[in-house]
Parts: sequence; structure tokens; C-alpha cells
Amino acid sequence: MAQVTLQGITKRWGAFTGVSNVNLEIADREFMVFLGPSGCGKTTTMRMIAGLEDPTEGEISIGDRVVNALEPKDRDIAMVFQNYGLYPNLTVYENIRFPLKVRRIDPQTHDDRVHRAAEMVELGDLLHRLPRELSGGQRQRVALARAVVRQPTVFLMDEPLSNLDAKLRVSTRAQLKNLQHELQVTTIYVTHDQIEAMTLAHRVVVMNHGKIQQIGTPTAIYDNPANTFVAGFIGSPAMNLLDGELQGGVFKSDNVAIAGLPADRNGPVTLGFRAEDARVVDADGAQIAAPIYSVELLGDATMVTVRTGGSLTSVKAEKDYRAEIGDGVGIGISPDICHLFDKESGQRVSLAA
Amino acid sequence: MTTARALQMPTGLRVANGAFVAFWLLLAIFPLFWILVMSFKIPVDSFSTNPLQVIFGFETRRTVGGLSFLDLALGIVVLIAAYRLVAQTIGKAAGYLSLGGQVWFGWILASVVYAIGLALVFGWLVPLVFGLVNTIFGVIPLLNALATPVVGLTTEHYRAVWIENEFHEQFLNSAVVTAGVVTISLTVGTLAGYGLARSGGSLAFWLLVVALVFRALPHSVLVSGYLPAFLNSREWLGPLWESGATGWFFGLFSDEPPTLFGKHLPVIIVLVSINQPFTIWMLRSFFQNIPRELDEAARVDGCSHFEAFRRVIIPVMWPGVITTGLFSFLLAYNDFLVTSLLLDAEAQTMVPAIAQFFNRETTATDQVEAIAAAVSITAPLFLLVMIFQKQIVSGLTAGAVKG
Repeated sequence: MAQVTLQGITKRWGAFTGVSNVNLEIADREFMVFLGPSGCGKTTTMRMIAGLEDPTEGEISIGDRVVNALEPKDRDIAMVFQNYGLYPNLTVYENIRFPLKVRRIDPQTHDDRVHRAAEMVELGDLLHRLPRELSGGQRQRVALARAVVRQPTVFLMDEPLSNLDAKLRVSTRAQLKNLQHELQVTTIYVTHDQIEAMTLAHRVVVMNHGKIQQIGTPTAIYDNPANTFVAGFIGSPAMNLLDGELQGGVFKSDNVAIAGLPADRNGPVTLGFRAEDARVVDADGAQIAAPIYSVELLGDATMVTVRTGGSLTSVKAEKDYRAEIGDGVGIGISPDICHLFDKESGQRVSLAA
Repeated sequence: MTTARALQMPTGLRVANGAFVAFWLLLAIFPLFWILVMSFKIPVDSFSTNPLQVIFGFETRRTVGGLSFLDLALGIVVLIAAYRLVAQTIGKAAGYLSLGGQVWFGWILASVVYAIGLALVFGWLVPLVFGLVNTIFGVIPLLNALATPVVGLTTEHYRAVWIENEFHEQFLNSAVVTAGVVTISLTVGTLAGYGLARSGGSLAFWLLVVALVFRALPHSVLVSGYLPAFLNSREWLGPLWESGATGWFFGLFSDEPPTLFGKHLPVIIVLVSINQPFTIWMLRSFFQNIPRELDEAARVDGCSHFEAFRRVIIPVMWPGVITTGLFSFLLAYNDFLVTSLLLDAEAQTMVPAIAQFFNRETTATDQVEAIAAAVSITAPLFLLVMIFQKQIVSGLTAGAVKG
């Protein structure tokens, strides 16, 4: 059993608060992703779990042990670093073997384990090379092999794919997911890339300004964002967010009028909907009617953007949809695809029906 | 690497640049070349006002003999061949001589074997073979011109310096002082540099600033500050020997407190204190170039703090340590002020000894002997740079440890 529990974790540097009062339970064998923009405290949180930073307040447990006072080596974790952290003077083989050697695990088993770990990440024929003779993707796989060779109770991965090129990132991502499924080890993964989070995670923790914004499965976070930050961070493109007035179930803003929303709330709100939920329709009688700001061909769809109030609103049309910039267009939005957020606090006020 | 045509310098600038570099090289190398030439001539030639006489040594050639064209040509060939042979095979030999044990042991053994081999070749084989070749060519009619001496050469001054004046004693003194300074500077500098590089605290910052201030002090301040203390050390060290608690311990080393003046240890202390701020700064910047992730990866992989340093940092720090070590070596080896003021005649190092050669009788022979001694002391420097050139280059350019 290796659940990880964070209770009231806070990290301050002088007056600056990096992580503020994080409470989190990560279940055994769960793939948990910390997601957020840079500087949101996600890496700091992970480093505190690893023992590379001390929390200012709060308690961290791994399994049933409180690990606050334990050295990193005694926490039974393995970590993959953003810049790989490979030992430049050791060959791939020795790099992977390093944790076994340092921990004085029976030398008889080393060779077998190293080869098994290397097989897992398909490094078999590179074992005699030095790290500087490898490509970025290969180095990252060495780092992964070094992490899995010892079968720790928790994996920590700090943006492991961010130094890889786009194509390699996709294939390594799939490899990672499969690896975690095979090994069944609790994994904490830090990233700022929401697609990585959506594809890899069992659950996602969205963080901003050192605070947890939402914890949930990728679907829950995508379908029911808890606030405008999550709504605007998750999804590609992110959710359209329109500021306006809600009066008697009708949302109004520049060029926008959406009826049929809950009538029990009046006043300023932020309304959100996803580009793929809305449709492009005739301008007459549409919920949004405006001239086209831009048309982008994505291949599987065409993205149409219009200006509404102070912001840009995008909608996905059929892939054979064609129009010129400046043409009038309408966007059909049914009330059941809309998310409503409090304009002041940004918190969700009612679920989409 | 070729520079893009658009980025190339105009011809005028290139010529001026080249001319300046050539001029500067001449300025830097000429004295070295000149004392090298002078040291192999008898005084009449060495101090001649005719530069050609200094170079070719007419008198030396007439009275002692010299090198023929053949000797010069063969000598250059043998030198180059020896250098390449050593450079290419010493690595393999070290691997072979380590006998399956530590590699550094193999290197030491290989260096000793090669040093003996080179001494044999140049001290015995080369004169023998060259003499033979010259004799053979000397009897062949047209070719005997090649075998007649053209450049006068005498090694009597070197013999005088090293054998009659027993310069090896000063050499050993220099070796002790330099080894002491380098060892202490590097040990303290490595640990302090690593610690300061990895801690971002304000204390670390102030320590570095203070170190810089100490570095800026004139050396004479330190020396004059220490001098009275070293002269009177018998008095102020007395209590340590007299008190019961510590007396038995210090009694193990000597019966009564020593006078520190004139000994090697105090000079090492002073030179280290002059040198330490610099080594700390330099090593700190080397350690900052070693990614912190390496330490962290090691800590997570199961190392304690010290183990991470030993297993992960030490193997990658050598270029930095060797470069810093070279600078420490130069400081201690070339120092005149501290060594001349704090050492007595018995413990004197080479640099002040050479100054004394010049100040002695000032007969012309003494002067040339001093010059021969001065040339002698540059040899270890060339040797060091030659052995460590790879590490020094990668240390000076840094960034050699990107993971």
C-alpha cells in the first residue's frame, strides 16, 4: 500500500508563499497529475513529497509513515527529472544500476534487474553508451529505467516530457501510461501541458498560485470545471468565457443573447461553453451574431472565431466549412452546454443541465 | 568551423589583428627564448653585445664544442617522436599497469616507467647515437660540413646549478611548499566551493564577499602581520605545551614549542590564506555549472548527502579541480615575497634562491648560472600543462558536465 497524503502543506520563502494549504489524498496505484501554469507550486509540491524541499507547515505521509523528517533516500521513492539528471560519467547500464548499487541490493540480481528495466523502456542495445551519446528521448528513457529498476512505492515525475520534440512526446506519453499500468505503482506526475494531464491521469490536480483549484478525473475536470481558471486552462482550445449580465434566465452581452438559462440568479456572471459543443448557424436568430474575426483550418474541423465584447469566442465548424474574414456568422448555443461562473470569484454557480 | 562570409572581418582589420598577436607573442616568448639560449653558452658569449654571438656562441663553439646541423635536425625529430609516442601510448600503458586495480595507480606507475625511459633515451642513447652519426658523417667528404658544430653549446652551468650548488635541495623545498599549498587549497576549496554553490543563503553571499576582500589585500600585509607572530612563536605557543590538558599531545611532536619562522608550514599557511579566496570562488563557479539535479537524483536514488558528493559530484568535478589546482600551483611555485621573507636558508625555495644567485658574487659565471636555474624552474610548468592540457582546456571552457 502506498497512498500519499498531504495535510495542510504550505511552503513559504520569506514573504512569498509558493504552496498554500494543500490537502490531498493520492490513492494506491493511482496516476495523479499535478497540472498548472509555471510558478503555480506544482513542482514545489512534488519536491516536498520527494524530500528535496521542506514544507513550512503540514504533514506528508507515504503509506502509513509520516515522512517529513525522512531523508529522500528513506522515502522509498524514485524520481524522473525534467533535465533527466543522468550521471554523465556513467554508462547507461551503470546509470540504471546506480540505485541498486547505492542501496546495497544483492549484487547477484543487478544484471537481471537492469536488463529488465532497460527492456521495459526499449533501451536494450544502448546499455554501453554514455548519456552524452544519446538523444533527448533516449536519455529520458534511461531516467525512466533508473526509476523503475528498484520498484519503489511511489514514482515522481517532474515534467519528464517537456524537453522532447512534439512527435516523441506523444509516443513516450503512451509508453509511460503503459508502464504505469504494468507496474501498478502510485505515480505523481507534474506537467503544464493539459493534454498530457488528460491522457495520462486517473485524476488531475489543477493548481494555480499555490492553491488547488480542482481535483477530479480528466472527464470531470473537462466537463465540470470548478472555476473560470480551470475552464480557461483545460481543453484545446480552452473554454470560451464571456462576461455579461444574467436577467430572468437570459444572458446578455455584446452580440450575445442566450435564453433558457436558470432564472433564479440575476446580475453579472461569466458564461462558458466549449468550442465543440456550439454550432455555426445562420446569423438570423443565433445566440451570437458577429462578423468573423478569423477562420483556422485544423484538418478535422474548421475553427471560427468572432469578437464578443472584449474577448474572442471560438467555435468548431464542419471541416468543409469555408468563409472569409468579415463575413457575418451566427453561433448557436443551447442553454444546456453553458457553464455559469460567478463574475467576482470565478466559482461555478450552476452545473450545465 | 568557418565563419559566414557576411561575418568575416575586413582584410585590413585581419592584418592588423594578426600583426598585433604576432607582436604580443614575440614580447611574451622572446625573454624565455633568450634566457634559454644564454643558459647554454659560456659567459663571454652570453653577455656579448652581438646578438648573433649570443645565439650561435662563437666562443663556446671554439672552446667547448656544440651542435651540428645533424644534431639539430635529429634532435627535433627525436623530440617530436618521443612526445607523440608518449602521448599515444601512456594511456594504454596506464591501463595495463593498473594490473586490474585502480587506474590512478596505473598512471603513477606508467609515469615513473616513462620518466625513467625518457631519461635513459636522452641522457645516454641520444648522445651516443648522435656522436656516432656525427663521426660517420665527419669522414664522408662532402657531408662532413653537416657534422661540424654550428651552434655552441655547453651544459656546464646546469651542472654547476644542480650538482655543485645542490639546487635539488631548493627544488625539494619548493616541492614541499607547493604540494602543501595545493593540497590544502584544493581540499578546503572543493568542500567550501561545493557548499557555497549549493546554498543560496545570505550567509554564503557574505562569506564570498569577505573572501573577495581578503583576496584584494596586498600580500605584504599578510606577511608583515604574520612575521612577528612566527618569530615569537616559542613564547606564545608555550602555554599549549605547559598546560597539562594539551601538553602531552603537543609533546608528542616536539619537547618544546617550535619557532615557526623559517619552516615550511608557516609559509604554506600564509600562501594558503592568500590563495584560498580565489580557489573557493573559482571552484564555486565550477560547482554551479554542475546541475543541481545530479545531487538530487543521487539523493532520491539512495545516497546520503555526503555519498551524493562522493559518488556523483567527485567524478565530474576533475576539470574544475585540476584547473584551480594549476592556478594554486602557480601561485605557490612562483611566489617570491612570502617565501623570501619567511624562510631561512635551509628551507629556501627555488625562486628566492635564484634571486640570491644574482646577488652573490656577480661574476659573469654566477649570472649565467642564475639564468640556467631560472630556465630549470620553468620545466615543471611545461610538464604540468602538457600532462593536464585536456582537463585544463575543458575546465577553462567549463560546461563539460551537461547531463
